[in-house]
Amino acid sequence: MRGSASGLSLALAGLALVTLPWWSGDLYQLHLVSLIGAYWVLVAGLNLVVGFAGQLSIGHVGLLAVGAYGFAVLAGTLGLDPLLVLPLCGALGGAAGLLLGLPSLRLPGFYFAMATMAFALIVTELSLAWGGLTGGGTGLSVPGFPAPFHTPWGQYWLILAIGAAVTAMTWGIARRMWGRALIAVRDSEVAAASVGINVFRVKLTVFVFSGVTAGLGGALFAALQTYITPDTFVFEIGLFFFVCIIIGGRGSILGPLIGTAVLTALPELVAPLAKLGTFFYGLTLLIVVLLVPEGIGRLVEVLAARLRAEPHRSHEVRPDLARLRRALTSQAGASPPVGEPPPVGETRPPEAPALAREALP
Amino acid sequence: MLAVIVSGLAIGAVYAATALAYNVMYSTSKVLSVTTGHLCMLGGVFGAWFIAGLGLPVPAGLVGAVLVGALFGGFTEIVGVRRVLARSDEHLWLLSTLALATMLQQAVGLWWGTEPKPFPRLIPQDFSSGLLDQKYWLPILTVLVMTAGLEAFYRLTLWGKLFQATSEDAFAARARGIPTDRVRLASYLLAGALGGLAGFAAGQLTFAFFALGLTLTLNGFIALAVGGLGSNLGALLGGAGLGLLSAFATYWFGGEYQQTIAVGLLMLVLLVRPEGLLGARRVRPV
Repeated sequence: MRGSASGLSLALAGLALVTLPWWSGDLYQLHLVSLIGAYWVLVAGLNLVVGFAGQLSIGHVGLLAVGAYGFAVLAGTLGLDPLLVLPLCGALGGAAGLLLGLPSLRLPGFYFAMATMAFALIVTELSLAWGGLTGGGTGLSVPGFPAPFHTPWGQYWLILAIGAAVTAMTWGIARRMWGRALIAVRDSEVAAASVGINVFRVKLTVFVFSGVTAGLGGALFAALQTYITPDTFVFEIGLFFFVCIIIGGRGSILGPLIGTAVLTALPELVAPLAKLGTFFYGLTLLIVVLLVPEGIGRLVEVLAARLRAEPHRSHEVRPDLARLRRALTSQAGASPPVGEPPPVGETRPPEAPALAREALP
Repeated sequence: MLAVIVSGLAIGAVYAATALAYNVMYSTSKVLSVTTGHLCMLGGVFGAWFIAGLGLPVPAGLVGAVLVGALFGGFTEIVGVRRVLARSDEHLWLLSTLALATMLQQAVGLWWGTEPKPFPRLIPQDFSSGLLDQKYWLPILTVLVMTAGLEAFYRLTLWGKLFQATSEDAFAARARGIPTDRVRLASYLLAGALGGLAGFAAGQLTFAFFALGLTLTLNGFIALAVGGLGSNLGALLGGAGLGLLSAFATYWFGGEYQQTIAVGLLMLVLLVRPEGLLGARRVRPV
């Protein structure tokens, strides 16, 4: 019942997303949704690291930059086919993730967060230093995609397809043994290791996967922006990805998706927030951490469960003493009365079993 | 060459001061606050504002900068740490202090401007004194005094002993009647004051710059991890080493690779000696 309802809403949402170019108001909205999609490709992978495995990576913007510069250099400077470069960027991001994860995933929480933050700063530094490759401070222009995907609509559909594929993959990982292992690592590494989970390998695998999605997301992001400079990849964007996941709720997939969409769209749609953008993210993070550490997704779940009619009512069994006495007295004299309709209570189930149980001794 | 060493030691002193502030907060709460570097940033920005902006005399500016740092330190404890420590989730404090640090940096950026602004002269001195300029020896002297003062405070005063007892075992300290919550708040106030003082003293070196906090949070942490978590002398050594390394890296390779080399040092030390140079060996909790 519930499954088919959620399946239906999922299909409706999918249909709405696929047909978006026909009913959305203007190109700007389409660009915004494409941007959300590109961010989501990264956040979906990061969600496994932060939300499931509990590793607080605040510097994923470094991996985004690796993917974006990889795309710009391979497709722009070297002139390869952008559709071929896309998987290459994923591989590049995965390699960078492996490079970062190998030393840093051995470190405990705060050390790991600092290492990822340092990685983001290093990538910015290197993109400035290697001027010959990255254009230095002036940046690089990024080519678009070839024929079927060269229009804003085509680009949107490409991003949508990749986003859907990545979502399906994370969904598959999260629901099966892998996801359970990740949650076990998040909740207690010692307990996870004691039931035979290779903690480091699980963390490294999922981190490399997040690197691949970050590389892909970076390539899509660069193609959307059409021009990238080191200033595009400020540390605050990494913070933004991180906030999306924490706000959406750890250990959920839908929550971070909604978080990404809302947090990307809100500063664009509400003008005063644009100036305060990062301050607003920080404030949101603080409020969520202090008031609902499980994330807003969890809060919505709890509220929905409270509002929805309870599927299971408590079957409280109260002995109807008057009737019982009558039954006992009639049993003493003659056979028990048959066919007496049970009184209809509001929450009470049919009372015959209760009567029988009470009458038995 | 001497110029490289002196400037490296000076910037290393700022890193060491940040590491000291980390230590003070870590000792009582076992929290590594992301706001640590921002305390120094506050000292620099508010020092410049009090003296150059409002025209206050230098001692008043110093007191003001230290007060602002201490206030923000206390604010961090009350808003970001106290409530979160009550919960058992291990890393929530990282998120809350990160949120506070982000908000502070953005707020200062909006109010003060995103350009580094010059810090006024504190002591009348000729600009031509080269390596003996106050912008080099002032932070070095300050951090030496701070370290000595902290050690004296820990060893000689009753409050220092309360800090140490809380640091050793907070539950046992509580059982002996030490108000650990108040000790923690005091430690955050103290760390804020130290950060503000360091930022004020180093203002002429770092300029009054809103984004300084994040860099200092990272580099101070590297100095701390290299020197050993919990050790004040280690913080001093780690800061000096990191500052010298950065200065020589800039001298030989140019300024582009500073961060890369600093993180390389961190990784190297963590791989070879995970507890740092002077840190106590940590026992893995099971």
